[in-house]
Amino acid sequence: MNLVNELLAHFKITDVSQDASGVAWFTTGNLDLRELASYLRQAGARFVTITANELPRGEGFCLEYLWDFDGRLFGFPYYPVSKTMPSIYDICEAVDWIEREVHEEYAIDFAGREYEPLLLRAGELSGVNLQEVAK
Amino acid sequence: MSYRLPMGPYHPGLEEPYKLEMICEGETICDAKLHIGFNFRGIEHLAETRNHIQLIALMERVCGICSFIHTLTLCQAIEKLTGLELPPRALYLRVIMAELERLHSHVLWAGIAAKLMGFKTMFMACFAYREQVMDMLQAISGNRVNYSMNCVGGVNRDIADAGVILTMVNKLEREIGRELVPVFTTSITARSRCAGIGVLTHQKAVSLGVVGPTARASGVAQDLRRAAPYAAYAEMDFDVPVETAGDVRARLLVRAYEILQSCHILRQALTKLPPGEIACGETKFVFPTASAASRVEAPRGEVFYTVSWRQNSRTPSRVHVRTPTYANMPAVRWMVQGARVADAPLIQASIDPCYSCTDR
Repeated sequence: MNLVNELLAHFKITDVSQDASGVAWFTTGNLDLRELASYLRQAGARFVTITANELPRGEGFCLEYLWDFDGRLFGFPYYPVSKTMPSIYDICEAVDWIEREVHEEYAIDFAGREYEPLLLRAGELSGVNLQEVAK
Repeated sequence: MSYRLPMGPYHPGLEEPYKLEMICEGETICDAKLHIGFNFRGIEHLAETRNHIQLIALMERVCGICSFIHTLTLCQAIEKLTGLELPPRALYLRVIMAELERLHSHVLWAGIAAKLMGFKTMFMACFAYREQVMDMLQAISGNRVNYSMNCVGGVNRDIADAGVILTMVNKLEREIGRELVPVFTTSITARSRCAGIGVLTHQKAVSLGVVGPTARASGVAQDLRRAAPYAAYAEMDFDVPVETAGDVRARLLVRAYEILQSCHILRQALTKLPPGEIACGETKFVFPTASAASRVEAPRGEVFYTVSWRQNSRTPSRVHVRTPTYANMPAVRWMVQGARVADAPLIQASIDPCYSCTDR
C-alpha cells in the first residue's frame, strides 16, 4: 500500500485530488494537523514548506502544508480559525523558520511554541499586508 | 565562563548580511543563534504586481548565482498552469544551462571554501575555472549573470554550434579532473581543515529537512533530477554522489563529484541535442483559476515555487518561493556546536549559503 492509500485509510480522508503540477491534495476537514505531521514524519516524509494564501473578500487565510515523499509532493490545506494554528515545531523542527515567517507576514499565530521574530520586517509592520498599504 | 560572540551582519569572516551569534566557552562554540532578514526584499509581494513576462525578470533576481534555476522553476509552474507542452530542444537547452549554472556555482563555492581553508592558491585556480564556465554561459546566452534564457513555453536563445560548447566542456572537465578534484579529495590541507568538522548527522539532516549537497553529504540520497525528473533529466544517465560522514569534508566531496557528473550530463545533452524549435511559440496564455507547484534541483538543493493565478487577472495572486538555503541554514546551529571558533566561517560556508535567496 502506498503512502496515499495509507493516509486515506488511517485518517479516513474522503477525497484526494491531483493538480496540474502533480501535487496530491488531501481534503483536511477535521484532520488533526499535529497527528498528521507525526504520521508523515514517522513514514519518512520530508517537510517542504507552508504556503500562506490570503483568501479574497476577507475570507481569511489558507495555509498549505507541503510534504515530499519519494519525490512526490503531498499538499494539505488548512484554514486557520481566528488566525491561529497549532504549531508543529515540536514534531517537525524543519517548520521553524517558515512558521516564524508566516507569523511575521500574515500575523497568524502558531499556538504552542515560543518564537523569536525572524526580523524580516520592522516591528510595526509585522502582519501587515504590504499590498494594502501600497494602495 | 561563557560569552557571546557575534559574527555578522558585517564581518570579514562572513561577507554577507546574516548574523551568527555564538555562545562560546573558551575557543569552543556551545550553541548558536542565526538571524536573517537584514536585506529582505519582499519579492513575493512584488511578484503579485507583475505580469507573466515581468515576473520572469523579477524572479531572475532572487539569486545572483542561480538566476537561471529560479526562472526555470517559475516557468515550469506557469507552463503547468497553462498546460503548455515544450519542444524537446527547449528541454535539452534547459538541462545544459542548469548544469552550467551548477558547475559555475560549485566551482565558485570551491574557491571560497579554499580561501577559508587558507588554501589561497586553490582559490585563484577555482576562479580561473569559473571564468571558463562563465565564458560558456556568455557564449550561449550573451550574459554572465542574469541570462534571460527562460520564457514561458521554452527558451529565448539557441545553441548554434553544440560542438564548440562541447569542446569547452571537455577541456574544463580534463583540467578540473586533473587538478581541483584530486586536491579537494586527497590533499592534506583539505583533509585536516575539513574532516570531522561541522558534523550534521543523518538523523538531524532528516529532522531538519535539509536539501541538496548538504543533505547528500549526510547520507540523504535525494536529488530531484532523479526523484522527480523535469526538463530532459529523465533521458540523462548520471550518478548521485552521496557521502555519510556529514562533515565539511563530505560536503566538499559531494560537490567535487557533482562537478564531474555535471560535465557528464552536459556531454550527453550537447551530443544528443535534438533539432527543432526552442519554444512552443505561444505568446498569449489563458490562465485558469488555479495553483501549480514546481521544483528544481538547484546547485544548493531544492528550489520550490507555488504560483497561483485567478482567471482574467494579469498578475498572479500569489508566488511563494522556498529556496534551498532557507531549508539548510538552520542546520548551521547544529553544525557549529562543539566546534572551534576558528572553524565557524568554514562550517557556515560549507552549506554554500545564499543570503540573496534567503532574503528574497
